[in-house]
Amino acid sequence: MNYNFHINDFEGPLDLLLHLIKEKKMDIYDVNISEIIDEYIEFIKKLENKNIDIASEYLVMSAELIHLKSKKLINKEEIEEDDFTISSEDDLKQKLIEYKKYKDMSLNFQKLEEKRNEIYTKYPENLNNYKDDSSNDINHQDINDLIEAFINFQNRLKYIKPLNTRITRKELSIEKRINEVRNIIKKKKKVTFYELFDIINKDYLIVTFLSILEMSKNKEIKLNQKNEFEEIFIEAM
Amino acid sequence: MDKCAILEGLLFVVGDEGLTLKDICNILEIEKEEAKKLLMELKKDYDNEKRGIRISFLGDSFKLTTKKEHKNYYQKLLSVPRTNTLSIPALETLAIIAYNQPITRVEIDDLRGVASANIVRKLVAKGLIKEAGKSNMPGRPNLYKTTHDFLDYFGLSTIDDLPEFLNNDESTENEKELFTSIYKEE
Repeated sequence: MNYNFHINDFEGPLDLLLHLIKEKKMDIYDVNISEIIDEYIEFIKKLENKNIDIASEYLVMSAELIHLKSKKLINKEEIEEDDFTISSEDDLKQKLIEYKKYKDMSLNFQKLEEKRNEIYTKYPENLNNYKDDSSNDINHQDINDLIEAFINFQNRLKYIKPLNTRITRKELSIEKRINEVRNIIKKKKKVTFYELFDIINKDYLIVTFLSILEMSKNKEIKLNQKNEFEEIFIEAM
Repeated sequence: MDKCAILEGLLFVVGDEGLTLKDICNILEIEKEEAKKLLMELKKDYDNEKRGIRISFLGDSFKLTTKKEHKNYYQKLLSVPRTNTLSIPALETLAIIAYNQPITRVEIDDLRGVASANIVRKLVAKGLIKEAGKSNMPGRPNLYKTTHDFLDYFGLSTIDDLPEFLNNDESTENEKELFTSIYKEE
């Protein structure tokens, strides 16, 4: 069979298939798909023999069609999982019908395009020259405006600033605490270690502890503990 | 001031960008009904043979255009006649997008049976289609849809003006086949 058309005349394999159908004067809804498949494969084969570069899409379709044919020959419903996108002749037919729908529609668009080209319109007017450029407003302002803005800003800042607050800290000196401890011991003669730590506060605990060490070093007091972890007793020397 | 005259001036100024009905309402501070009336009034004026322009409703907006009866004279202005029409593959792709929007590139490829990436890119560059979000399909591919310029390009007022497919749906076809096959069996 001779073909009086060239591969470049087509938009793709579907287009070529549609053309083959048309050549055979078949109705797309009532097409003998296997005959068209043979035609297509034949056509591609001839091209290959002529050593002509064929777009890969045509070869992919060729493979699809051969797959379809062989499937039909062994007459067995194949397992779902294969890499072929066309599952049956009906499927191919549907694809062709769908493609033809848009191919035909594109002719309508061509007509619309032609018709629209009969009328002309124009670019929008360039109104930039009339634009009130707001950056020109700078001319109407002077340094006073800037100062005023800054004063306003400073005033606003006053509200943002936190109120002045004084945080007082009770300073406790070791000397003072030593005096206190001295008085306590003078009064009670003998106290337990824990008795001196009556206020639970980090500073107080440390100062008291240091005071005790200091007094002990100065041999002012005597520390007694009978056994490990037992109560420590403090008395004046 | 005559609002009809103002409208005419506005349409002149905006050119092919056109004005939507809403634009007209906002600028002239009038209701839709009045805007429509003004447009009709102006349109009637232009219908006169002595006028060279008309109002066209293209791509969802009103624009001043020339009259097609005069096209031969305009074409004389062009040293080279306009030939940069869209190619067949471009038209095919546009048709697929127009009727299936929003659609991914892969779906377009599938319908056409060929890769369409280049054409899609060109159509985007021409402003006839644009990206319209992402599909939920694997890889989240871009979705494409047609633009107002697309409608204008084909002289369509709104998307509803797309030409309808001839009614040879396969659904009716299948029914027919079933119908005839019943008779065949008997």
